[in-house]
Amino acid sequence: MNNTNEMVVEFKSAAQNESFARMVVAAFITSTNPTLEEVSDVKTAVSEAVTNSIIHGYENRDGMIRIKAKVDGRKIYIEIIDEGNGIEDIKKAMEPLYTSRPEDERSGMGFSFMEAFMDGLEVESTYGKGTIVKMWKEIGVIRHQFE
Amino acid sequence: MKNYDVSNGVMIYYLPKELDHYAAEKIKKRSDSVFKEENIKFLIFDFQDTSFMDSSGIGLITGRFRKVHDKGGCVYAINVRPEIDKILKMSGIYRILFKKENKEEIISEMIEGGYYE
Repeated sequence: MNNTNEMVVEFKSAAQNESFARMVVAAFITSTNPTLEEVSDVKTAVSEAVTNSIIHGYENRDGMIRIKAKVDGRKIYIEIIDEGNGIEDIKKAMEPLYTSRPEDERSGMGFSFMEAFMDGLEVESTYGKGTIVKMWKEIGVIRHQFE
Repeated sequence: MKNYDVSNGVMIYYLPKELDHYAAEKIKKRSDSVFKEENIKFLIFDFQDTSFMDSSGIGLITGRFRKVHDKGGCVYAINVRPEIDKILKMSGIYRILFKKENKEEIISEMIEGGYYE
């Protein structure tokens, strides 16, 4: 039996939707039979990407955020898409501890957390047009325990 | 609903189930308004109910650390679950955040250190 599935969900760019986004993705990936820790990792990564869209993409303006997700066997693919500001310098934005908003007490760890909790991360962005964050992870793989 | 207690310059903040950007903004506002009224030197974040956290929580702790550090105080974390511990460790924040089992452990250290008479 092959486990494949796809979903798309779209919601308003608003901080109260961050938990909704995490829960939708967590529910969607249950067919891959993840451990609680794996669910928690994916939720954190999704939360980081969605928060980035709200704060940096739309800068708290109105806008829509779309999540596309796919499961194939025990592999999970997630895309977080916004039509916000876009990122001028992706390399700089992805540097650990870099934040464009230190005054808002942003930690600058968003992309680092996405990279740490997923197997892979790709960012496509057009300045002024929007950003797509693509992440993937294989469930059931024994990983080196972080200490 | 009251999410914190203050006594003798010690503030204990009971964190919510999910500590994300949405929750962190509210906590920041609430704690900073208390900081204006009271002379808080020690801030204890109680993670008892918290099962989710992202990097917004790290920003929250770092920001509050700056405020109490200026007064010679410090920031503690208590009742930290393994899933939260993983995030805190990864972020490197334990260099400025002291993890203790519970409130009693902090109080007895404060008595030993002469902060409490």
